[in-house]
Formats: sequence, structure tokens, C-alpha cells
Amino acid sequence: MIIIDKLCYTSGLRYVNTMEKFVFSMLTLLICIISKSITVSVVVLLVTGFLTVGKGGVSLSRYLKFMTIPLVFLFLSTTAILVNISHAPLDAFAIPLGSYYLTGSFYGLLKGARLIFTALAGVSCLYFLSFSTPITDILEVLKRLHVPGLIIELMLLIYRHIFIMLHTASAITNAQHSRLGNKNIRIAKKSFAAMMSAVFILSVKRGGALYNAMEARCYNGRIRVLSEERPAKYSEILFIAGFELFLVYCSRR
Amino acid sequence: MTRKQKKLIAAISVFSVFFGIYPAANAMHIMEGYLPVSYCIAWGVLCLPFLVTGFMKIRRTLNENRRAITLLAMSGAFIFVISSLKIPSVTGSCSHMTGTGFGAILFGPCSVSILGVIVLVFQAILLAHGGLTTLGANTFSMAIAGPFVTYGIYRLCQKCRVNHMVSVFLGAALGDLFTYCVTSVQLSLAYPSEAGGITASTVKFLSVFAPTQIPLAVVEGLLTTAIVICLESFAKSELNLIGYKKEA
Repeated sequence: MIIIDKLCYTSGLRYVNTMEKFVFSMLTLLICIISKSITVSVVVLLVTGFLTVGKGGVSLSRYLKFMTIPLVFLFLSTTAILVNISHAPLDAFAIPLGSYYLTGSFYGLLKGARLIFTALAGVSCLYFLSFSTPITDILEVLKRLHVPGLIIELMLLIYRHIFIMLHTASAITNAQHSRLGNKNIRIAKKSFAAMMSAVFILSVKRGGALYNAMEARCYNGRIRVLSEERPAKYSEILFIAGFELFLVYCSRR
Repeated sequence: MTRKQKKLIAAISVFSVFFGIYPAANAMHIMEGYLPVSYCIAWGVLCLPFLVTGFMKIRRTLNENRRAITLLAMSGAFIFVISSLKIPSVTGSCSHMTGTGFGAILFGPCSVSILGVIVLVFQAILLAHGGLTTLGANTFSMAIAGPFVTYGIYRLCQKCRVNHMVSVFLGAALGDLFTYCVTSVQLSLAYPSEAGGITASTVKFLSVFAPTQIPLAVVEGLLTTAIVICLESFAKSELNLIGYKKEA
């Protein structure tokens, strides 16, 4: 149902040490948005793309398709940054509209181009993490970063509930579709509301049952899960350190 | 001024035609890597007091009643699911609800702030909506500002004895609109316009996102009302369990 969640379990990088993956993607992301340099972003795009597609085994077409998800936002807000409406024309372009100009400056264009590259590189870092690391592993990292136990507990339970709910929701939606539940907009809205409330009621019931089941197994406020120890390799640590230093060097130039 | 308005309307209609053929319109998550570092940190810090309050409140509830944890988890998942499912919309393109307004009406704005952060993390990692560096800004607009406005309007309408369903609709729709305004302001603070500064830039962001967000707010309001109607007629006991009371 959630494609990313399926892909990360079959990724070639699934069994690499989680902390390494987390540190790698977060450091790269930070260097990208601090430096805002086009060179750094292109390097990051290529490297994380190679890691996700080449090493991780996500198909290229699927990866590119995922890269288009944020494009609507990117396109709209960058347009809003590039185009100004003012009385005085700026240096790059100016389209007269009555007494006003739709206008932009070269500096603005450069800034916009930088922003697009930085944002895409940021997204590719995020994808590197989410295409290679299941949520349960990320929760382990959060635990080591001293996020309160209650939050982690909630996250684990929410993660579990999401799939139960999506399953129920898709079953109900199928049933509605086969009975012409989306014939027109009015009926489609009605069915959506009916479906969501049915999901709500079912999940409240399931939540109660889940608690009973957990309590029957001595739940005392903590769910203990076995985590596999996957030691970091020196070669990987060297690669990460080298790569980050290289990025810092690129951004200095 | 009227001329300016005409231009604005023309621009909006061009964009809405454009959006008629556009594949997807998400709720307004600021994408990964779009904000400068200083703004990421600033918005994150601004969220902290709300999150700490929410955390305390949740911990108190859990100390009183352990069972509430599955209910809370369920509500968080519900917010995620409601925001990840495609909703029927007017243009034929698919769009998503924010879901946090609905959460605020059912569970109260404080717990929604914590649930909202968790949901936003999951949305970033699992659906690629939003991002980890922009988590602070997105949390402020979607998990804090929106729900608080929704809840405020909802309670205010109840105090003034407005029809219950109307108050749910107004709360959800205006909360959604407010989220969109806050996001526009956040973007314009980070990227002020070269001609006209922050105000001009806010107007630009508002008008660029208006064609997707205004219909979406109305749809969100309608759907929230419909879901609340369904719940009130079928799930009285479950609603009482989560502490939702209809004040007549």
C-alpha cells in the first residue's frame, strides 16, 4: 500500500548499520542546505541516486517518478520567488502589464536555480534514508538519540495502526466502488465520509483489543523489540567521512 | 486597486486552468531542503513550547489511564490515513486532506500537536510529503497553528450557539485556510521579494497556492462535517471514550 515501506525492506542497503545511513543522509542534507551551492547539490544528487538505484536496487524509472512528487510545490513556490510585480522593471526580464511589470533580476534567477538544486538534492538525501531503512530501524536510532520513550512507543503503535487502517480503508473502498459508490462527486464524498467513519469505529475496537492482547502479555508501558546488531564497517565509515569532507571542500570553492 | 485585483483574478484563473490538468495537489507541506538552516531551526524552536505542553498532557492522561495509549496511537494513525487517502475533488485531480483539523475537533489541540509531529515524520519518510529539515516549519503550520485555529473557531461557534455542523465546517475549513496562510508567510519570511519585501512576497505565495488550497479547504470542511455526522450517529460510545462531547 505504501510503496516506500515495501521497497525499503528489499533494499540492498537494508542490512547496513542504521546509524551510518542516518548520519550519512543527515550530514549530507545539512551540508546541502548550508552551502546552497549548485556543485554540491549535483554531486549529492548523483551519489545518493547511485546509492539508492545502484546499490539499493530501486528501479531507475520508479526513483525518477518519486523525484517528481515534490515538483508541483517546487514549481509553484519557485515561480513565486522568481517573478515580482513592481512599477520598476528589474534587470533579467520584464513583461509590462499596464503600469506594472512582471519582472525578475539575474540575482533572483541565480538564487532560484540554487534553490531548485538544493531542494532536489535534499529530497534525494531523504529518499536515500527512506528507501533503505525501515521505520523500525529509524526508531532504534531515535532511541539512541534520547527521544522520550513515550514518543517512540507512540510512533511504533501508530506505525502498526497505519497499516491496519489502510487495509480496512482499501477493502471498504473496493466494496464501495463495486457498488457504484463513486458515481458522481456528491456520492463519492458521501462514501468517503462513510468509509472514514467506519474505519474510525473499527479501529477504536481494534485498539481496545490490541491493548487487551498486550496486557495479557505483560505490557507495562514498554514494547521491547529485539534489534539485530549490525556493526559498522571501517570501509563504510571511511567512505562517509571522505564524502562529507569532499562536499565541504566543494562548497568552499 | 481594482486593476490589481483584476490582475490577481486573471493570474489565479490561469493557474486554476493549469491545475485542472495537474496530476496531484498535496496539502501544503514545505518540501525537503527548501528552507535556509536558520529558519528551520527558528521554526523548530518556536514549536517546542507547544510540543512540551502536548507531551505533558499526554503523559498525564496516560498516568491516569494506561488504556489511552492505544486510543492515542489510533488517533495518530487516523490522522495519517485521512491525510494520505485521495479525496474526491472537483477538478478531477487528486488531493489530500490535512486531517489535523479533524483531529483537533475530536481529540483537542494539545494532543494533536504531538500526534501531528509524529504523523509529519511518517509522511516525510513514507510518502515523501514534507521533509526532515522542514519538519519544524511544517509542524508549526499543520500541527499547531491549524489545529489551534480549528479548535478555537469550533469552540467559539459553540459558545455563540451556532448550529453544530456549521461550527464543525467552519472550524475545519478555516483551520485549513489558516494553515495555508501560515505556510505562505513562512515561505515569504525566508524568501522576501526583491521588490516590495515580505508583504509582497506573502501576497505572491498566497496567490500562487490559492487555486489548489481554497477549494481544498472547502472540501476538507465538507468532508470533516460529513465524517462527524456519521460518527455521531453510529459511534456515540466510542466518541465518549475519547472524551469528545457534543455540547448542545
